[in-house]
Amino acid sequence: MSRREWPGLSADRTLRSIAVAVTAVTAVVLLLVLYFPVGTVFVEAFGGARPFDSFASTLTDPFYTGVLAELFARPFAVGTHLDNVFAWFAGVSVGPDGVDTPPLSKGLFGFTAYQALLSTLASVAIGLPGAYILANYEFRGRRTLRSLTIVPFVLPGIMVASGFYAAFGQAGLLNDVLALVGLGPQRLIETNPLFVVVLAHAFYNAPLVTRVATAAWESVDYRAVETARSLGASRRRAFRDVVLPQLTPAIATGALLTFLFTFLTFPIVLAIGGLELATVEVWVYYQLTEVLAFEEAATLAVLETAISLGVTYAYLRYESAQRSTSPGEGPPREPLFGRASDAAASWLARSRVVRALDARRLAIAGYAVVVFVLFVGPLGAMVLEGLTDGSGLTLRHYEFLVQRQAAGASFQTKPLPAIRNSLLFGVATVAVAVPMGLVVSVASTGEGRWRSLLETATMLPFAVSGIVFGIGLLRGLVFGISLPGGWRFVIAGGVAIVAAHAVAAYPFVVRNVAPQLAGVDPRLVESARSLGASRVRAFLDVELRLAATGLVAGAAFAFAISIGEFDSTVILASDVAGDTVTYTMPVAVERYLGRRFGPAMAMGTVLLVVTAVSFVVVDRLGGRVERG
Amino acid sequence: MAELTLDGVSVSYGDAVALSDVHLDVADGEFFTLVGPSGCGKTTTLRSIAGFETPDAGELSFAGREMTGVPPEERDVGVVFQNYALFPHMSVAENVGYGLRFHAVDDPEARVAELLSLVDLEGFGDRDPTELSGGQQQRVSLARALAPEPDVLLLDEPMSALDARLREELRREVRRIQTELGITTVYVTHDQEEALAVSDRVAVMHDGRVEQVGTPREVYREPASRFVASFVGENNLFDGERVDGGVRVDGSTFTVEGLDAAGPDTGGHATLCVRPEHLRRDAAENRFAVTVEQSEFLGEATRVHCDWNDRTVVWRTDSAVPERGAEVTLGFASDDGQLL
Repeated sequence: MSRREWPGLSADRTLRSIAVAVTAVTAVVLLLVLYFPVGTVFVEAFGGARPFDSFASTLTDPFYTGVLAELFARPFAVGTHLDNVFAWFAGVSVGPDGVDTPPLSKGLFGFTAYQALLSTLASVAIGLPGAYILANYEFRGRRTLRSLTIVPFVLPGIMVASGFYAAFGQAGLLNDVLALVGLGPQRLIETNPLFVVVLAHAFYNAPLVTRVATAAWESVDYRAVETARSLGASRRRAFRDVVLPQLTPAIATGALLTFLFTFLTFPIVLAIGGLELATVEVWVYYQLTEVLAFEEAATLAVLETAISLGVTYAYLRYESAQRSTSPGEGPPREPLFGRASDAAASWLARSRVVRALDARRLAIAGYAVVVFVLFVGPLGAMVLEGLTDGSGLTLRHYEFLVQRQAAGASFQTKPLPAIRNSLLFGVATVAVAVPMGLVVSVASTGEGRWRSLLETATMLPFAVSGIVFGIGLLRGLVFGISLPGGWRFVIAGGVAIVAAHAVAAYPFVVRNVAPQLAGVDPRLVESARSLGASRVRAFLDVELRLAATGLVAGAAFAFAISIGEFDSTVILASDVAGDTVTYTMPVAVERYLGRRFGPAMAMGTVLLVVTAVSFVVVDRLGGRVERG
Repeated sequence: MAELTLDGVSVSYGDAVALSDVHLDVADGEFFTLVGPSGCGKTTTLRSIAGFETPDAGELSFAGREMTGVPPEERDVGVVFQNYALFPHMSVAENVGYGLRFHAVDDPEARVAELLSLVDLEGFGDRDPTELSGGQQQRVSLARALAPEPDVLLLDEPMSALDARLREELRREVRRIQTELGITTVYVTHDQEEALAVSDRVAVMHDGRVEQVGTPREVYREPASRFVASFVGENNLFDGERVDGGVRVDGSTFTVEGLDAAGPDTGGHATLCVRPEHLRRDAAENRFAVTVEQSEFLGEATRVHCDWNDRTVVWRTDSAVPERGAEVTLGFASDDGQLL
């Protein structure tokens, strides 16, 4: 029978009632800490005299929507708009210096989309060659490199921003190196911050593109390529006709995800660009914390979420299209270094082959250098800057941290509480997010409309910005909800932060566990049941055991997400004197970054070490579980 | 009393009807086979017996006990699937012993050893299932299903993933074990030859219905429908007009023996069935001239495709075959033909 189904679930009341109960609890948690807070923000946006006032004033303000403001203001004045378009084209002049266009005001939304587009292009440009190499060449460490592509994704944004600061800042590594050869100093962050922001975004998202494209490339059925070749297609033509169409959905998926993430970017722009490069997200944060213009911030947040939900929808469409393609063996991998057979070939053939190969391998070597500079550079620079001052190696910055810990006033940010909080919240997040993710995974393994609804609900944390979520939590739960009878429902401090982290992290648990659960052969469960196991017992003995590696990976993600989460933590973290402080390592890094460069780098290094160690620990744990 | 009874069982998925009004009785200790093409409902029938499917209508009972609503784990059935479905995270012994966790057994280890020796896999207990060959994995699966001493053994196309030689060996082994234990067995296969070879009785299924139930000999010799006649073994089917004592096809009259009153009325439509091996050049009756078109040498015999008035006639012979285009006169004994 080709039909797949959840075997015997309808016949088993026990599992169903347990599943319903746990799902209900999870739903309440999600409702309370995700949908309710986000809802309160959205409601605020409709709080004007008439419900859509705030949207109208935002959309027609050139500051936000640029040239489109006029379009929104007078949507039916088609003639005027067309005249404007013609006038703009009339202003284009082609001269000896290239094409000169009249200025085009993008507005805040336009700029946010523009930098996201640039970042997406950069990420695809840097990521695709990586996929080509990983899918087509064999070399020592290929698998390791392939699994390392996930790492940048979970690195704390504020740490990456610090790294780029350390590399390109005025007192950064690049200037130190330039000074050695009598050049510089460059002022890249001051003069072209957008370039650095786009680079930092590529640091995050290029590996993502590499990852999805490699997976697709490795599952291309190469017998189809061989068939095309045997039918007369050249190598290039076969690539274009057979391989490329199978890669396109994966590239689109990677690009859409990159666009989504960079559209919602926050810590990188905040740390590198500041308000001058403000994206919607940064502006919302600013409106909220500096200007206290809540309605305006909420309106922006709703518009931002509408756009990102649209992108998320497109992403889900593409992803499902990608999943439906049939898996193949992938291309045969050629060794990257050395070919013993070349030596035996004739001189003529060898020289021709070697020259062609050398051109390709030279390009790969060049690419490797770029990758090394982009990925190792910033983190290395951060570590190095934490250990040096203008004159040479020093432990001064770490001493500062130790002194601050020993002698700092209670209003100052100390390193140890930050480390303690980060680890504590990380563990708590794992404890909450893993069961949550498991339940949602079990529920989403079902069929039909119920499933796609759940999938979208699962993706919501990706589409809603951390800032919006943080504000919602702050306004909704930390300040408290009035209940009838004079009671107030309040979630505050560490609990609110863990809730925020768990909501951000559980989709990663789902995305690791759900495919493994769905991959369990239903006949295994049926076998267990016919042998006498109840549905619950079969789930514990068979499905859960077979999804164990996914659970461990999900836990690793949850921990890393919690350690690195900045957007909502920075809003929720308090350090009221006398109270227990709740700031985390990323928040501490950001606070130091504004005032003291060296100690910020030292703190960033500590964050890097903790993140790396936790990843290694969980990886080891994962290995053991897998073997056991 | 029948060990296993299906009374008007129907299963549908939305608009698609998988089983409609199936009635079956399986006797205690019987080896009973459900055979039919894919999509005929044989696997759905087996899954309903196991409790993996819930019938929309009808009753299903084990030794008179109504089973509707009883979950699979309380039915005392052993199931063997085509893809073995061994637990990949357990050793061979753990797989075989899994069902013993839910049944009171004095010495589970001894029981596991006993079953492994029953399926000829002594000493394989510590292996990982993935280390074994397909045939060995299927034996482990069989041992696992038998370990809790089920009342009914259900086998869902257990041989389909194995190559031909191994399949024959394993099916003899399964039959030996089944006879030894005397366990009531329902076997699902799409391979009619396999069904005829191992079964006490066979149910031929088509489009969610049971077309015929009988011993292998009955089903082969006296197919009850056009579908059974063409699905079980090879057959020549000629549509014609019922005449006294036989059937008229394209102006030739063929006599068929043993026609009773229940057969098609004189003057009505009738279908003549003749097995390829019953066609002979030296037959005295029912002779007709055909042209040889193609022949396939099968080793012990040759299958010859011939043309007769633009109809294809399949003839099976163990003697020398005339060349392509030659004219041959074939015939069959009147007690070898059958009318539908």
